[in-house]
Amino acid sequence: MIEVTQLGKTYPGGVEAVKGVDFEVRSGEVFGLLGPNGAGKSTTIGMLTTTIEPTSGNARLAGFDVAKQPREARRVSSVVFQEPVVDRALTGRRNLILHARLWSVDPGAAARRIQNIVEVFGIGDVIDRPVASFSGGQVRRLEIARALISQPSVLFLDEPTVGLDTRIRYELLDLIDDLRDENDMTTLLTTHYLDEAERLCDRVAIISAGRIVALDSPRALLASLGREVIELRVQHDPQQVLGLLRSHRIAGDDTFAVGSTLTIPLRNGTAGEAMAQISELNVATTAISTRPPTLDDVYLRLTGDRLAA
Amino acid sequence: MTTITATDRIPVRTRRRPGAGQDNLSALLTLARRRLALSASNPREIFVPLLTPLLFALVIAPALATLVRSAPGLDYRTYLAIGTAGLLVPLACMFAGLGVVVDRQSGARRELLTAPIPRGLIVFGNLLVAVLVSGLQLGALLLATYLRGAHFNATATGIGWFVAAAGCFAVAMYSIAEIMANRIPSQEEYVGAVPAVAIVPWFIAGSLFPISALPAGLAAIAKALPLTHVLALMRYGLLDRHGAGLRDIWGMTNTTVMAALSTAVVVAYAILFLVLALRVFRRTAVR
Repeated sequence: MIEVTQLGKTYPGGVEAVKGVDFEVRSGEVFGLLGPNGAGKSTTIGMLTTTIEPTSGNARLAGFDVAKQPREARRVSSVVFQEPVVDRALTGRRNLILHARLWSVDPGAAARRIQNIVEVFGIGDVIDRPVASFSGGQVRRLEIARALISQPSVLFLDEPTVGLDTRIRYELLDLIDDLRDENDMTTLLTTHYLDEAERLCDRVAIISAGRIVALDSPRALLASLGREVIELRVQHDPQQVLGLLRSHRIAGDDTFAVGSTLTIPLRNGTAGEAMAQISELNVATTAISTRPPTLDDVYLRLTGDRLAA
Repeated sequence: MTTITATDRIPVRTRRRPGAGQDNLSALLTLARRRLALSASNPREIFVPLLTPLLFALVIAPALATLVRSAPGLDYRTYLAIGTAGLLVPLACMFAGLGVVVDRQSGARRELLTAPIPRGLIVFGNLLVAVLVSGLQLGALLLATYLRGAHFNATATGIGWFVAAAGCFAVAMYSIAEIMANRIPSQEEYVGAVPAVAIVPWFIAGSLFPISALPAGLAAIAKALPLTHVLALMRYGLLDRHGAGLRDIWGMTNTTVMAALSTAVVVAYAILFLVLALRVFRRTAVR
């Protein structure tokens, strides 16, 4: 449904935001682009939604080339932007009707869909008020509802929960989860929230400095770090400690250090055994703990950078 | 806060009905209706530009008319009433452009850019409403000045010249507003630039007195301004069948030819600025 081949964008002035990425998203799949701010996620979505012109490579939505057939590509897709993009002076209903008309939805069908969707999204009681009076969560739900009015084959969600408080964020995640269960549309989601990617996405691509550094299912990416990791905060040079642990085969090649913290994926044996071995080496530590690996660990190992502060 | 209850099923995606391609005219009207609704939700956008020209036409023009002796057969009050139209149209269009800045900064512009329509329609939708609102304001201004005692000498042909000049001028001015709205980063800077574009030319374009009264250098500049041609055409259409304003520009004797030439100038400006506006819009809308 989405085919991206060597897609790249270099902005005037030479800033290379996306450096030739390749990926495919299958029909009905929820695909996540995971990376920190400035990694190239929004630029990639911008190119796929035809608001940013690629400088290299190509991309297709439902078979339509975004550069050569932009209107056709836009016809089969909808976008929920990172920032609120609504007419605040107009009512919620008017915003939905505007989208329906621009996407050539039959007026009768549009009215039925709007009626249905505003109830599902819990904004039925505010839909005839100006959007300026909506809460942040209501605006976001309105925007997602609007994107669905035209029943797109491809839905782009660009950081859909950024800036929302925790409760609204979880409500929206429930909503997006329901969409995934009840529709067969293809969804491309960008986020730097790991829990969103793990919960919603069938596959994720980790993007760093404009390149995709890993692409797999969240489960497979996590499995690459084993069942458990030891997190060790050391007092002295972490690289020296890392070398020591490697020489005693406690740490493997996938162990990494960020600041004074070493993260050691456990391949063989138990955490207890590994911690006992570390203790025997008399490594000066300030804290030691074990936990399941996260996508942040995957990202950290691949890029040496954290996903979110 | 309403709790989300996903008890109903979201409609399952179905194929679009065959032949349901986006009709450009329908999209244009949809965009124009949107802009009209946004303008109507902010009455200041409509009434504030009208206020100054209206006060000028109703208060200052009659007062000036009592002091200034008109040329034979020419009513100075009416002369000034038409002159204020040259202030009203630019102000109305500039205020309309402010809506584009708002759209760009905090409105639905990005949503419109992802719609399956030719993007130029977004500009044309705004333009249609700007021209419509300017026309209504112009009508209100002329009606008010007529009720205050202005004497128009209108024929069907004259009204035609007037409408053509006003329409093309509104297109040109809105196109300038669209260019500014897309190039100027903030609302504050946009508002700061409005007087230079909307008001300064009014002083030398023959609004208050014929351009023949200007020093030669300024008169030459005035002849290059679209507003000078517009005011000359408006007065030719509604007030002065001898076309004194047109003669000041062209120095010919055939008023119809001079009117046609001035109309051509205004049309050329309208096309030039509209093409530029579309180009600037496309360049700034898509990075």
